[in-house]
Amino acid sequence: MSGASEVLLRVYRYNPSNSGKPHYQNYRVPTFRGMTVLDALIYIKENLDPTLSIRYSCRMASCGSCGMTINGLPRLACFTQISELKSKYILVQPLRNLPVIKDLVADLDEFFNKHRLVKPYLIRRDVEEQENPREQYRQSDEELERYVQFAYCIKCALCYSACPVVSTDKNFPGPQALAQLYRYYIDTRDEASEERIRIVNNAHGIWRCHFADSCSQVCPKGVDPALAIQLMRREMMFGPSRG
Amino acid sequence: MAGRRNGLAVLVEALRTWLIPYRYGLERWSYTLQRISGVVITLYFVAHIVETGYVVGGPSVWTIRPDAQQYAERVWTETIKFLSNPLFDAGLAIIGFFVAFHTINGIRLFLAHFGWGLGRPTRPEPMHRPQSMSPIQRALFWASIAFAVFALVYTIDAFFGVLA
Repeated sequence: MSGASEVLLRVYRYNPSNSGKPHYQNYRVPTFRGMTVLDALIYIKENLDPTLSIRYSCRMASCGSCGMTINGLPRLACFTQISELKSKYILVQPLRNLPVIKDLVADLDEFFNKHRLVKPYLIRRDVEEQENPREQYRQSDEELERYVQFAYCIKCALCYSACPVVSTDKNFPGPQALAQLYRYYIDTRDEASEERIRIVNNAHGIWRCHFADSCSQVCPKGVDPALAIQLMRREMMFGPSRG
Repeated sequence: MAGRRNGLAVLVEALRTWLIPYRYGLERWSYTLQRISGVVITLYFVAHIVETGYVVGGPSVWTIRPDAQQYAERVWTETIKFLSNPLFDAGLAIIGFFVAFHTINGIRLFLAHFGWGLGRPTRPEPMHRPQSMSPIQRALFWASIAFAVFALVYTIDAFFGVLA
């Protein structure tokens, strides 16, 4: 890192059971090589202030729990090394576009509700087949490549937090949900294309995206939701391309 | 709950999200410029209609006046005199920049929404760059900037003769 042995973390604090007014608190944290922002927050919790609330689990960018706004950009705290920020001052805030439960913990209910809205699972016309599949569904490598990138999503909500449309239209499903819609739409094993189109074919749906591409810029897994949304629009305008 | 904000706070947050494009890459700058230019062009259009309406006599244009010809000439002369100052000229040069940018970048967005000029889905590797902002998209964005700068220089030269 930039020669510093400690960093100053300015952390957003909010406790609904207290005064209820958000404020910021500063903490000086000693650093080590490879230290992540999550390491620094855990250090604060263990040594400086046990009242700080954070959400994390795997510490390896797999679970998507520790999403927060770090120096103005939505990032995973476990996937952000202090050295890469190139600053002795780090501003840590909860994810934008979401209500705050406490301190750095955002309420992901609306995010997951929108994910649920697009029916993120394979749907078969035959109900019996849906509940009790009788055989394997074979796919070619080419068919797999059409959606596998979008299946990397870990539902961390960074894209949702970065989206400028979500901040002005709460009925917009957001990049994550729309990318998952396309992921199942383009999957050759899925048989609910028309139903999926109906879900998002409205003024607050897929047409609301302005292609700001911020979702794709912040995605820690390279899912590229903006690409999925534009490809889905093409499908809706010109008809199904999957064969 | 902190998430339950009043209308003003929502508006401030929305404008902050719209108007602060840094940190998110080139496409976010494109998004912000496209919105600002759209709002500016709309306001200009309204002002232009008002100005033109004033020149032709406003609502009175629907009533045939005996001195209609003289009246129109007088209002036209007054309006042109009012608008002939460097401030309005500079404003028109900026309008020229925004119209040129909005047009070319709008065509790029139009094509992108058709799925044209985007990369193909790929398995993301470390240091993955989004295929949504493909080299074609970047080139078209810079083309819209170049076209807008050309329009700006052209209009500045037309009004102020800087290249003469």
